[in-house]
Amino acid sequence: MSPHRHTRKKTRSTGRLAVTGLLVTSAALLATAGVYAGLSATATGAESVSTGSLDLTLAPDVGVGFSNFTGKLAPGDTDNVYVNLKNTGTLASAAGMTLAVAGNPVTALTSGSVAGEGLTVSATQCSVAWTLATGTCTGTTTPILTTTLASALAAPVALSNIPALAAATGQVAHVQVTLGLVANETSTNGVAPAATVQGLSTTLTYTFTEQQRTGVATNQ
Amino acid sequence: MSPLSPRTRSRAAGAVVAAVLALGVGVLPSIASAAGLAGRTTGTGSVTTGTWGVTAAVTSMSFNTNTAQSTAVTNTGTVASSAESFVVTVSKPFFFTPTMTVFECPVPWVGTTCSGGPGTPVGGTLTAGTTTTVTSTTGLAPGASFYLEVVPAGVFILTTTVTLTPEVTSPGQLRPPVRTNQ
Repeated sequence: MSPHRHTRKKTRSTGRLAVTGLLVTSAALLATAGVYAGLSATATGAESVSTGSLDLTLAPDVGVGFSNFTGKLAPGDTDNVYVNLKNTGTLASAAGMTLAVAGNPVTALTSGSVAGEGLTVSATQCSVAWTLATGTCTGTTTPILTTTLASALAAPVALSNIPALAAATGQVAHVQVTLGLVANETSTNGVAPAATVQGLSTTLTYTFTEQQRTGVATNQ
Repeated sequence: MSPLSPRTRSRAAGAVVAAVLALGVGVLPSIASAAGLAGRTTGTGSVTTGTWGVTAAVTSMSFNTNTAQSTAVTNTGTVASSAESFVVTVSKPFFFTPTMTVFECPVPWVGTTCSGGPGTPVGGTLTAGTTTTVTSTTGLAPGASFYLEVVPAGVFILTTTVTLTPEVTSPGQLRPPVRTNQ
């Protein structure tokens, strides 16, 4: 007999032993379970729970809200829109909110490719609804975003003075969002500089985000 | 099944550990980000920016005599201007030093008269061999024009060339800002 055959035989023998051992152990366990099946006891308790929701909605405050600016924006011009941010969920939000602004297509208006030039955004909260005709607030105004280049709002930026902004359930924030254009450009014989913000179009998406209030531990 | 060699077993164990670690790394951030709710809302609006600039129909004038020459200046942008600058270069002939004066008129010049008058001077007297920026404070709506005339003075034996380069700089030379509430 070759040494290989000897090893195979030994391995087979070890395998048979292992299988036999497993069968014996299983039989023993089943028998034990059968003994305890008649002695089990069960206790139950019931508790119901509902989860809250955190919903932020955007609607026109006065006027048309976020919309298309139909004119040709020039440096120094401002386009004001008035929107309501409302917490319509069942949970309060944490004191804080962010705003991000994205342009599509991405042009020099929002990319920052022309240093110091491009669209700007600012936001102010009014304690009551805004007056559309004059763009004024008859209540108290709170600046929540100073004039900021849109290129700096590609990533969400924390709005300031936020504690009262749509924090409680059902609370409404009356916000004026101002779009502007900054440009210091000289056109020569009717030709704009190579790097320019003139004659460009983009669609801006404003994204407001709030976080839920801190978790509450209840003992009852 | 053939028995695994120690080296193979070691590799298999390493693979299992790596898989468990990778699973942990992938799962932990998901749990962390799911720790709270976020409310999000978006609004959209489009915008188009204007263009600004004026062009001069003639940007280079050659003078051999004391005859005035004129050009139309037109706002070719989409934003009204409140002022326009002109970089005026007067070449220096070899003999003599003639001077030039620039006048503007809201209507085309007839000879050297503007609606029967002398027109409005833009800047002072320009000497040959200099480059000067002169500025008109006449506002121009998009598509509108006014007319410049360059009036030479002095002795002309050789040709003197005047180049006019119009410029409009924002925001200072544009119409006042407009505030829109919508």
